[in-house]
Amino acid sequence: MAFVELSGVTKSFHKGATTITPLDDVSLTIEQGEFFVLLGPSGSGKTTLLHLLAGIDPPDRGQVVVGGKDIATLRAGPLADWRAEHVGYVFQQHHLVPVLTAWENVELPLFLFPLSTAERTKRVGFALRAVGLDDRADHYPRQLSGGQEQRVAIARAIVADPPLLLADEPTGNLDHDSAQSVLDLLARLHHERGKTIVMVTHDPNAAARGTRMVHLDKGRLHEEARR
Amino acid sequence: MNLRGSFRLMRRNLARRPARTVLTVAGVAAAIALFVLVESLAAGLDRAVSGSESARTLVVYQKNRYCPQTSFLSQSEAVRIAKIDGVESVLPVKVFLSNCRTSLDTVAFHGVPADLLFDARRIDLIAGDRATFLQRGDAALVGEAFAQRRGLDVGDAFRFNRIEVQVAGIFRSPEPIEENLIVTHLELLQRSGAVNKLGTVTEFEVKISDPARGRAIAAEIDALLATSAAATDTRAKAAFLESATADLREILRFGRLFGICCVAAVLALVANTVAMAVRERIGELAVMRTLGWRDGRLMRLLLAESCALALLGGALGTAAAWITITTTRLTLGVEGVLVGFALSPRLVATAGAVALLAGLLAAALPAWKATRAPIPAALRGA
Repeated sequence: MAFVELSGVTKSFHKGATTITPLDDVSLTIEQGEFFVLLGPSGSGKTTLLHLLAGIDPPDRGQVVVGGKDIATLRAGPLADWRAEHVGYVFQQHHLVPVLTAWENVELPLFLFPLSTAERTKRVGFALRAVGLDDRADHYPRQLSGGQEQRVAIARAIVADPPLLLADEPTGNLDHDSAQSVLDLLARLHHERGKTIVMVTHDPNAAARGTRMVHLDKGRLHEEARR
Repeated sequence: MNLRGSFRLMRRNLARRPARTVLTVAGVAAAIALFVLVESLAAGLDRAVSGSESARTLVVYQKNRYCPQTSFLSQSEAVRIAKIDGVESVLPVKVFLSNCRTSLDTVAFHGVPADLLFDARRIDLIAGDRATFLQRGDAALVGEAFAQRRGLDVGDAFRFNRIEVQVAGIFRSPEPIEENLIVTHLELLQRSGAVNKLGTVTEFEVKISDPARGRAIAAEIDALLATSAAATDTRAKAAFLESATADLREILRFGRLFGICCVAAVLALVANTVAMAVRERIGELAVMRTLGWRDGRLMRLLLAESCALALLGGALGTAAAWITITTTRLTLGVEGVLVGFALSPRLVATAGAVALLAGLLAAALPAWKATRAPIPAALRGA
């Protein structure tokens, strides 16, 4: 059984009198452990698809099943709990909380679980080491470079050890070296920890890191490559 | 969520814009200080007129006179009043006030016949002794509140205008109004004015056995003295105090309205601050919701931040009011009735509750809106 399954999903937005339908009767399956890359031009609905998978936006029609659960049927509270446990989200702009240190930002999702201080300390340390920033734990986001901020955001996404990692253009705002470092990190998480990763990008070089590439255009999906 | 984590986040968020936080706390503090001052004055007024003896005490005053300095009754009339059926005792009192109108630091002397004082008034000496008071013509017993206000102790001399007294004792009284008085010998006050007024007093305090007959006895006294040198107006002490403080109550009613307006202004101030803070953080809140934070949890965090601001301001405001009251020891005098500020633990709790409620109300709408906004739209604005 597929880990992620979208069946007949449609999502529309209203902009004044105009209706935009970025996803039109989309069906898709993603297997557990895949590094799935979603390509497409700006405004093609890539981020919308990611929002649906994360359960932060409901579909107008169709089913979104992740890990055997139809998340579109969950109410807001249980859906938030599900998200905390199952999804790690990496934004294009890191979106770290500016008044918290790197350590505290990474610790943030763990406050949602009944963990002891020692266990939280262990997990945060582990996540920061995984992204190579344990020596920057006490730095505030303003004291970090763009690449470092994005790596802290990845540490925050993986600290609760969710099975699904969603990354929305994670290298979109980074220079070449920082982008390569972030992509290496995602690839390592996929290889070493078997994470299912769904990455949205419009950069073909970044897309090449995935095991499967799908192109989204005019609300429809087109399979491009599978490795 | 783990409390330590919530507290850390709250603390960091409040420190995000220190100037804004300080100004908001200062605004809340000013409003709560005003609220506490007005309410403690109202409580002081209630306390002043709440004496247990006021129901069975009549005050005989010269008719159509409001200031004690202008009421002159013949001291000898005390004998005639004492003969009325139902009268237990009559205490002639000469009143001297530093200021007859409304004033914030009034000094009030009561001159009474020393031999009648301890039977007519329930006075509990907490320092000094009765014998010294009875022996010395310039001796005075000072109410505990006044002694504290002026830093007086037994043996001290106290002078005001032409009156100079030696403090022979400090007393407590079940009548709160009396604890702001200086009680001295009647003759001392009668001789203290520019014109010698021996034989005259300001009022008679008449104790009656049955409070239910108060009105009838008052009418009888007024009828008895109608043909004397000065016609009288006799009222129950409670009514006398109510009448004397009516204007003050009116001012306090306005003061309370003013206080409520201040609390409303604070509500708007905190609401505006919270709304601005939430607007700035709408994207950040959306990120936290994406991480799995429940809307209710975030709402509680925002409410806690607002309440922390309001409570901190409330605590500072209450402290400022307390310092003002205790250091200045102000007493409002109005037509001879002295009213102190009464800051009780209950009032402190009320001020805290008002601040807390303002914090909750101010944050409720912005917090609700921020946590109900669609996450994708909020993320786009981040």
